[in-house]
Amino acid sequence: MAEALLKGGEYLITETKCEDVFTPEDFSDEQRQFGETTQQFIAGEILPRVEEIDAQNFDIVVDGMRQCGELGLLMMDAPEEYGGLDLDKASSMLVAERIAVSGSFSVAYAAHTGIGTLPLIYYGTHEQKEKYLEKLITGEWCAAYCLTEPGAGSDALGGQASAVLSEDGSHYILNGTKQFITNGGFARLFTVFAKIDKVHFTAFLVERDFEGLTIGPEEKKLGIKGSSTTPVALENCKVPVDNLLGEIGKGHKIAFNVLNVGRFKLGAAVTGAAKAALETGIKYANERTQFKRKLSSFGAIQEKIADLNADIFASESLVYRLAGLLDDKLATIDKGVEDYYVQYQKGIEEYAPECAISKVFCSEVLARTVDEVVQIYGGYGYVSEYPAERFYRDERINRIFEGTNEINRLLIPGMILRKAMKGELPLQAEAMKAFEALMTPSFDDLDESVVFAAEKALLANLKTLFLILAGTGVQKFMDKIADEQEIMMAAADIAIQIFALESTVLRAEKALTGFNERKQALVRAAVKVFAFSASEIIATAARKGAFYVEEGDTLTMILSGVRRFTKYDASGLLAAKKLLAEAACEDEKYLFS
Amino acid sequence: MKILVCIKQVPDMESKFKVDAAGTWYDTSDLAWRMNEYDEYAVEQAVRLKEQLGQGDITVLSIGSDKVKETMKKALAMGCDRGLHVSDDQAAGKEPLQIASVIAAFAQDKGFDVIFTGMQSQDRGSGQVGVLTAEILGMPSVTTIVDFSCDGGVVSAKRELEGGVKARVKVNTPALFTCQLGLNKPRYPTLPNIMKAKKKELLSVPVAELLRADARQQTTKLYFPEKKGGGIVLEGDVGELADRLVQILQEKTTVLSR
Ligand SMILES: Cc1cc2nc3c(=O)[nH]c(=O)nc-3n(C[C@H](O)[C@H](O)[C@H](O)COP(=O)(O)OP(=O)(O)OC[C@H]3O[C@@H](n4cnc5c(N)ncnc54)[C@H](O)[C@@H]3O)c2cc1C
Repeated sequence: MAEALLKGGEYLITETKCEDVFTPEDFSDEQRQFGETTQQFIAGEILPRVEEIDAQNFDIVVDGMRQCGELGLLMMDAPEEYGGLDLDKASSMLVAERIAVSGSFSVAYAAHTGIGTLPLIYYGTHEQKEKYLEKLITGEWCAAYCLTEPGAGSDALGGQASAVLSEDGSHYILNGTKQFITNGGFARLFTVFAKIDKVHFTAFLVERDFEGLTIGPEEKKLGIKGSSTTPVALENCKVPVDNLLGEIGKGHKIAFNVLNVGRFKLGAAVTGAAKAALETGIKYANERTQFKRKLSSFGAIQEKIADLNADIFASESLVYRLAGLLDDKLATIDKGVEDYYVQYQKGIEEYAPECAISKVFCSEVLARTVDEVVQIYGGYGYVSEYPAERFYRDERINRIFEGTNEINRLLIPGMILRKAMKGELPLQAEAMKAFEALMTPSFDDLDESVVFAAEKALLANLKTLFLILAGTGVQKFMDKIADEQEIMMAAADIAIQIFALESTVLRAEKALTGFNERKQALVRAAVKVFAFSASEIIATAARKGAFYVEEGDTLTMILSGVRRFTKYDASGLLAAKKLLAEAACEDEKYLFS
Repeated sequence: MKILVCIKQVPDMESKFKVDAAGTWYDTSDLAWRMNEYDEYAVEQAVRLKEQLGQGDITVLSIGSDKVKETMKKALAMGCDRGLHVSDDQAAGKEPLQIASVIAAFAQDKGFDVIFTGMQSQDRGSGQVGVLTAEILGMPSVTTIVDFSCDGGVVSAKRELEGGVKARVKVNTPALFTCQLGLNKPRYPTLPNIMKAKKKELLSVPVAELLRADARQQTTKLYFPEKKGGGIVLEGDVGELADRLVQILQEKTTVLSR
């Protein structure tokens, strides 16, 4: 896998070969077994109790977490010297995906293994890990992460929580209130962020039993009702100095790096939820009869099923491509080195734009999925007796936590432009070329012998278009571009869709030869459906961006560029959708896992 | 104690099956594969037996294409010690006696004390492989067991018979047991054990080296049963309806007979 050499954001200016991407078809037997164990455990032990869990019977959650511990599902990211497995990201994403069908339980799992445990793994001292890590990876203790405050949500560093060293120098005294803390109701270890002397943003490992820590009442929520969400009050909470995590004043590093991981894992989890939701929708469409016909025989319903299959195929392709990128990057680091986790963080941070893309794109695919699944169920989608309603409610949070989708959207072009300004990505030089392309008409014929020639040509054009718009924006607003949020949002949408489409095409190309005829036809159909949708979304975003930034002749020129660079011949689109829908209704599931 | 467990890889039973081009088996492309359900009970029982005795060596055997190794790895992750893969791309076309002859040829000189198999496979469902294997090896077989305990070379097994009747059977080892639903709850292989299984022995031998029986049967046609006619909707006065229902039940079924 040579894509390790691809830098974060670099996909926008290079072409990648399909051999270089990781895809779900590349899973090893062991990885597949991880997935199977997870799936069987969730199906056998958790799903039958989802209703009890949603009634906030947290004992079941805590017990389930212990069982996860026994199965090894909590130790995937932990280093071997502390009893962990230190597995690749593709494996942990597959597991996250398989757990996701459980809704609330999945949130508890994700918070525990992600934001709950990773700060300790990445930044803990040997003594801290000795003391806490085994408890966390066995599920004996659940973990929580306390960053958000009533006055500091998206502005996570703007918190008021404070820490002051005690007079005898043995403790920090923490004060403040943390808001919306997942697992608050039963967690035993809290990673709490507070400012030492009101300036130095720092993380602390705080035990539930430490004096001065109080758990507030459970929030009453729209969805994921069976996950615990509480305020956590710190009133002169005494934290031993040994429990300071990482360095004084470097808490923001911990907060943000852990969020990067949270974001790509969330991408995987929501993809799993989308598959499960779609499956119930398809089954229902096959069962329900109106006008003496099955719902699944109506074109309006078929189109939903086809579109969702294509969207989820894109999600899945994107998530595992990113897993491969991260794994390849991390594999280049020598595990023996002293500053392993420092380099490891850098490795993950490299792909921070892609992590944000994963979060936004995949959570929005899930949002469309659950919405359409409720629609397929009609009135029965609106009542709690059927599963569509729970999927619908549980979905909503994914666009809010781990950084709202707005914050993540802002980050995507923001981080990519910053890389360019730092000279890490030759965006400017490429933008010049893109402007040249805009001026010179081209009449390149498609080389039909190339697999997915039309989609690859489209991708090259879309990248040119991104560069033209980003270039125009930067030219006009210079380093103030980040404040032009409407433009940043448009740029984000283009960058997101390009990454998703490219991942889709590369996976399809790589998988094609291993598939039988039927599956090949289906993959081709999914690529067509998704390429059409991506090109349309990008066209809209690009036109919008053009109107925001330019006027007069330049505007006219850019708009004609938008037309030219988003052109995609989607002939056979309807047949492709019919094919996908009919196959999905025959198999009664998402077609590509 | 030396234990052998024989497992088969079968399609996920939730799959949509199609008859293959030759019309004699199902189309195997595009299916998800897993361990035959009854074989999971067999593996679990073997591992429990070893755990109970505190010693032992469990060999898992499977016949099929390279693909079945994935399922064998699951058995290794559940606790089997070594794997013997009999490589055969045409395993699905072999009749039960041929499969049994392969297992027996392998087991013959290995001195297994206990052999576990599933009571049947979920796809072919002949239910013969276990008993035929025992017969060839000249050891007793106990079928459809739902309980198993072993004490000093004597096994006490509970068998499930028709109509909810159970039988308790005692047998000396070596013996073969075919496992039925209810015997145990198979464990989920843990992630650490899945990783450890990677290092366990998993050998392959070509089927030709072990096959001792010629085919005597031939599947001539595989097909879906024709759909039976629909139900009857009774309408009218409740009292009359009840009488007609009783009449139908008496005529067409045995549910009211004593
Ligand atoms: C169920 C649940 C579980 C949670 N679990 C945890 C947890 O375990 N630990 C933890 O620390 N936190 C947790 N959170 C908090 C979560 O991360 C925050 O709610 C989230 O970051 C948003 O912050 P906020 O709610 O204060 O919204 P705000 O920041 O007030 O945002 C409100 C709206 O304004 C937009 N907005 C804000 N700033 C900007 C900007 N600069 N530019 C453009 N738009 C902007 C947002 O996108 C959003 O649409 C949880 C929240 C919920 C609901």
